[in-house]
Amino acid sequence: MIDWSAFLLVAVVALVSAGALVSVYSLGLRLLAAEPRTTLATAGARACFGLCAVGVLVGIWLIVPALHG
Amino acid sequence: MHATDAPELTAVHPGARLPPVEIALLVVLVIVVALFFDFTNGFHDTANAMATPIATGAMTPRVAVTVAAVLNLVGAFLSTEVAKTVSGGIIREGDGGVQISPAMIFAGLIGAVVWNMVTWLRGLPSSSSHALFGGLIGAAVVGAGLASVDFGVVLSKVVLPALLAPLTAAVVAYTATRLAYAITRRHGERSERGGFRYGQIFTSSLVSLAHGTNDAQKTMGVITLTLIAGGFLTAGAEPPLWVITVCALAIALGTYTGGWRIIKTLGGGLTEVKPTQGFSAEASTTATILASSHLGFALSTTQVSSGSIIGAGLGRRGAKIQWGTAGKIVVAWFVTLPASAAVGAAAALVASLGAVGLVVDAVAGFAVVGGIFVLSRRRPSEQQSAMEVDLAATSVLSRRRVRRLERRGLLDEPTGGVEAPLLHLDDRPADERPVGTVVPPAPTDDEEPSR
Repeated sequence: MIDWSAFLLVAVVALVSAGALVSVYSLGLRLLAAEPRTTLATAGARACFGLCAVGVLVGIWLIVPALHG
Repeated sequence: MHATDAPELTAVHPGARLPPVEIALLVVLVIVVALFFDFTNGFHDTANAMATPIATGAMTPRVAVTVAAVLNLVGAFLSTEVAKTVSGGIIREGDGGVQISPAMIFAGLIGAVVWNMVTWLRGLPSSSSHALFGGLIGAAVVGAGLASVDFGVVLSKVVLPALLAPLTAAVVAYTATRLAYAITRRHGERSERGGFRYGQIFTSSLVSLAHGTNDAQKTMGVITLTLIAGGFLTAGAEPPLWVITVCALAIALGTYTGGWRIIKTLGGGLTEVKPTQGFSAEASTTATILASSHLGFALSTTQVSSGSIIGAGLGRRGAKIQWGTAGKIVVAWFVTLPASAAVGAAAALVASLGAVGLVVDAVAGFAVVGGIFVLSRRRPSEQQSAMEVDLAATSVLSRRRVRRLERRGLLDEPTGGVEAPLLHLDDRPADERPVGTVVPPAPTDDEEPSR
C-alpha cells in the first residue's frame, strides 16, 4: 500500500544532503570568523561557499526537467 | 429550463450530450475557476519559501514576494511535465472507471478554492493539492458514486504522507540546525551567524522555483483536460501556449500578492526564527522536496516546510514552539480533504441541475470568496507594513546593514554581525534619550548555554 523503501530512501537522502549543505556552509562561516584570519582560513571558506554553490546548481538541475531529460 | 440529469456527469464524452451553449459556458467557467485556484495556490504557498527569509530579515517582504513571483513565473514555463490525470489516481479515471466530466472538475475546483480561502483567512498553511483532490472526490462521489474513489490511494497518497512529511522534515531540519549551531559555536571571537542570511536567499529561491515547476502544471493539466473533454482540443494534445502563459501569470500574481497571514504564521507564529534556523529549515525543505520528487515518494511542500520550521525550532536550545498553533495547522491538514470534498459535493449537486446550476455555483462561489475577502479586510493583520514592524523586532542585522545604519546614526553602539542591537528607526539617538530609558536587550542568534 505504501512504499516504505521509497520513503526511507527519500528520508535518508534528504537528511544527508541537507546535513551536508548546512555543515559546509556553517564551516565556511566559521572559517570567515577565524581570528587571526589566515590566508588558509579564507581559502577554506571560499572553497566551502563554492561547494555550496555547486549544491545550488545541482538543485536547479534537478528542478528543471529539460536539463536532465 | 433544461431537463438535464445526473447521468450526464458520467458521460464518456460529456461534450457529446450537452448542448453547445452549455459546453462553452462550462469550459469558460472551468477556466476562470481554475485560474483563480492557481492564484490562491500562489498566495497560499508563498509562505513555504519566503516566510523564514522575511522573518530573519534576509529579504524585505516586498523583495521576497517579488523574487518568489518571478521564480514561479519562470518555473511554470520550465516544466513540460503536465499532469496527465486530474486526480493523480485518487479517482478511478479513464478506461473501466468513471470519466471526470468538466462539470465535476468545476465543482471540485469550487470546493478547493473555497477551502483555500478559508484556511488563508485563518492563516493556516494547508496543501492546495489536497484541497483540489478533496473537491474532486466530493464531486465524483455525487456524480458517480462512492465506488469511483479509490480510498486505498487516498490513504497512501494523502493521509499517511500528511503524517510522514512533517515528521521527516522536522527530523532533517532538527539535525541540520543542531549541526549548524555546533559548527558555528563561538570561541570568544565575533559571531558569524548573520551570514546564514545570504544562504537563505538561495535555499528559499530553490523552493520557489520548485513550486513554480510543480504547481502551475496542475492547473495547466486541468484546463487542458477540460478543453479536450469539451472538444476544443484533440485527445492527448499538449497544453496550448496561451494556457501555459495564463497559468504562469495567475500563479505568479498570486505569489506576488503574498499570503501575509500564512507568512506570519510560519515566520513567527510557530517559533521565533533566527538566521541559523531559517537557513537550516529552508535547506531541509529544499532537500526533502527534491528528494521526494525525484525518488518517487510524493510529499506536500506545505507540510514539509511547516515540519522544517518546527524542527529548526526544536534545534535551537532555548527556542519556544507554539504547540497550539502547530496543532491547529495539523488539524487543518486532516480537515482539508473532507472539508473541500463537502463543498465540492454540494457544488456538484447544484451543477447537476444543468446550466442554471452552473451559474448558481459560480455566483455562490464568487459570493463566498468575496465575503472572505471582506472579512479579511476587517482584521487587516496581514498587511505588509504591520508585518515589517513586527518582524523588525525579531530580526537581526547583517554587518553591511549595521555599518550603513551606524553611519546614519540609527544604532546605539558600533557593533557587528548578529549582535547588532535593535534598530531605532522611530527613536532618537542614544544621547538625546531621556535619562533612565531602558534599552531592550539586543536580539542575537545565540543559543542558551547548555546545561
